[in-house]
Amino acid sequence: MSEVVMKGLKKVYDNKVTAVHDVNLEIKDKEFIVLVGPSGCGKSTTLRMVAGLEEISDGELYIDGKLVNDVAPKDRDIAMVFQNYALYPHKTVYDNLAFALKLRKEPKDVIDKKVREVAEILDITQYLKRKPKALSGGQRQRVAIGRAMVRDPKVFLMDEPLSNLDAKLRNQMRAEIIKLRSRINTTFMYVTHDQTEAMTLGDRIVIMKDGYVNQIGTPQEVFNKPVNLFVAGFIGMPVMNFFDNCKLLLEDGKYYAEIRGVKFLLGDFQQKALKQINAKSCDIVAGIRPQHVTVGEGELSAKIEVSEMMGSEYNIHARTDKDEVVMLIPTVDLTTDVSMGKTINFTTRPHLIQLFDRETGNNIIWYDAESAANNAPVCKRYDF
Amino acid sequence: MEANAKRLSLKKERAPKKKMTKEKRVRYFKDNSPYLLMVLPAVLVVFLFNYLPIYGVLIAFQDFMPGDKILSDSTIWVGFQNFERFFSDPQFWPLMKNTFLICIIGFVIGFPLPIIVSLMLNAMKGKKTAKVLQTIFNGPHFISLVVLVGMLTLFFGRYGLVNNIAAHFGGERYSYFLESSAFRPMYILSSNWQDFGWSAIIYIAALSNVDPQQHEAAILDGATRFQRVMHVDLPAIMPMVSVMLIMSIGGLMGVGYEKALLMQTDGNLAVSELISTYVYKRGLTGVPDQAYATAIGLFNSIINVVLLIIANTTSKKFSENSLW
Repeated sequence: MSEVVMKGLKKVYDNKVTAVHDVNLEIKDKEFIVLVGPSGCGKSTTLRMVAGLEEISDGELYIDGKLVNDVAPKDRDIAMVFQNYALYPHKTVYDNLAFALKLRKEPKDVIDKKVREVAEILDITQYLKRKPKALSGGQRQRVAIGRAMVRDPKVFLMDEPLSNLDAKLRNQMRAEIIKLRSRINTTFMYVTHDQTEAMTLGDRIVIMKDGYVNQIGTPQEVFNKPVNLFVAGFIGMPVMNFFDNCKLLLEDGKYYAEIRGVKFLLGDFQQKALKQINAKSCDIVAGIRPQHVTVGEGELSAKIEVSEMMGSEYNIHARTDKDEVVMLIPTVDLTTDVSMGKTINFTTRPHLIQLFDRETGNNIIWYDAESAANNAPVCKRYDF
Repeated sequence: MEANAKRLSLKKERAPKKKMTKEKRVRYFKDNSPYLLMVLPAVLVVFLFNYLPIYGVLIAFQDFMPGDKILSDSTIWVGFQNFERFFSDPQFWPLMKNTFLICIIGFVIGFPLPIIVSLMLNAMKGKKTAKVLQTIFNGPHFISLVVLVGMLTLFFGRYGLVNNIAAHFGGERYSYFLESSAFRPMYILSSNWQDFGWSAIIYIAALSNVDPQQHEAAILDGATRFQRVMHVDLPAIMPMVSVMLIMSIGGLMGVGYEKALLMQTDGNLAVSELISTYVYKRGLTGVPDQAYATAIGLFNSIINVVLLIIANTTSKKFSENSLW
């Protein structure tokens, strides 16, 4: 068992800057959790507090049921992979892998066995005698992962481990981490600013901004049920289209979203959910994902400014009177002319429209005030 | 991966250097003219004060009298006579021994000292305290040699602080400056006291380049503070240590005459007479014998050059660091 539990974790620096506010998070045994957010959101600081590299200003941190606030990093039974590998440049790959075990004074044959096992898993056996400078970025990152693996830790911490790699290598290494995870079967905490990494790697994702956790959920949840405008805008590529100054209307017991004068009768689930929370007509910001736009029908219209043919789909930037709209249109069965300069009609499936309170920015359906108050915001659960 | 391994193994096979064409040379100078212009004053200074005076070593091979021109029709060339004179001089072995001992002992104590100090300052938790200490350690470097020897006199003179304390407790007054046995410790320790902080700067600068994540990785690996110094900091400054070692060995016999002269008394002359003080005395005092003094100086410089080459070659062979 290697659970990590954070209770009101807080980090305040000497200059009185609060980097992390009251993080409450329960990471289950063998779970892969990803902390994601823009630069300066506190994700790395949170990870470093778990590692013991940053002092915890307030709150409690439990690893495997033990309070570890004041436990030295080496005694927390964790291992960490750093962004720039942090390999010892004067040591060979073998010595880099063996260093922690040598410090633990493990017998030589045990060290040798463990190092070679890990090298085999990571396919770096042929580089054991080389020094890090004679390795490529990807190989160095494997060594860094190997150095963490030999320690057989309870919790595996990774701080943007793929950020220094080029796009192709990053994709390759991402796949390797997924494979690795199935082999070593331990608890992972992974920090990244790349939402693709977050979505593909994480069992659950923690989205952070300005030191606060904005949402905790599975990749599907954070994509389909974003609790606020920030999460909706941060997760998803291209970014969700937001239509400000729209309305949520309640007419004859039915809920509608009015977007630029066009009324959309919301889906069954939305009707039930809005009824359950007793929603009233109000001003909203409507959110529509580029993938959920359909062209060639509907009453909304826009002029195409940029049309990028991506092979299987078109990436279209169009402009209405008030908004810039991004659309991702599959090329299969496309009959509408989507070349630059053309004016097209577009619409969306109403049940996919996200409704955000114009004042608070919170999702009217998915924002759960109770979990947010506990600083562990998840999307709201409904009992129907 | 295989391709990468192949590429690395073929690293040494380099394409033959192509000769620069005239056009390329002109373009090179045109492109780099601002930088070449910037470096010009430094080149001029080095040429004027370091290379031009080399011309003067010719007098080591002449029967030269003060006032003579270095090259004229009346120049009398004597070959290696001045060198032979020095080798048969009764002062030769004492001078060699004194110079060698002062330099070697000074080097053995003085070379590791700034490295240890820089590692200690770098490992200190309180960075403010470390900075204050560094500033304090740098202070003595700015004391002139005359003042430094004056301070030594105040401390170790017959009526200096040390003797006063000894006398206060019933001890005997002792003339440190008249004793041969006290000269080397006073000379070497005061030199190291004056310069260890200053020499540490270069290592502190090198240590500031160490990636903090390497330390963090070592902390997670379970390394103690001392182990981090040994496994992260020290290897990081080793290239700098190698370069400084080569340069120190290259200048090993180049001990200056000023401080030794200032500390010299009839009592300690047997150990305080060094090659440099002897060159000064023979070349500039009494009846100057400049040809002889130049020959001794040249001999000393040649030893330094030989030591430099040996040190550089050895370093090149056993490590990846060398001056050339």
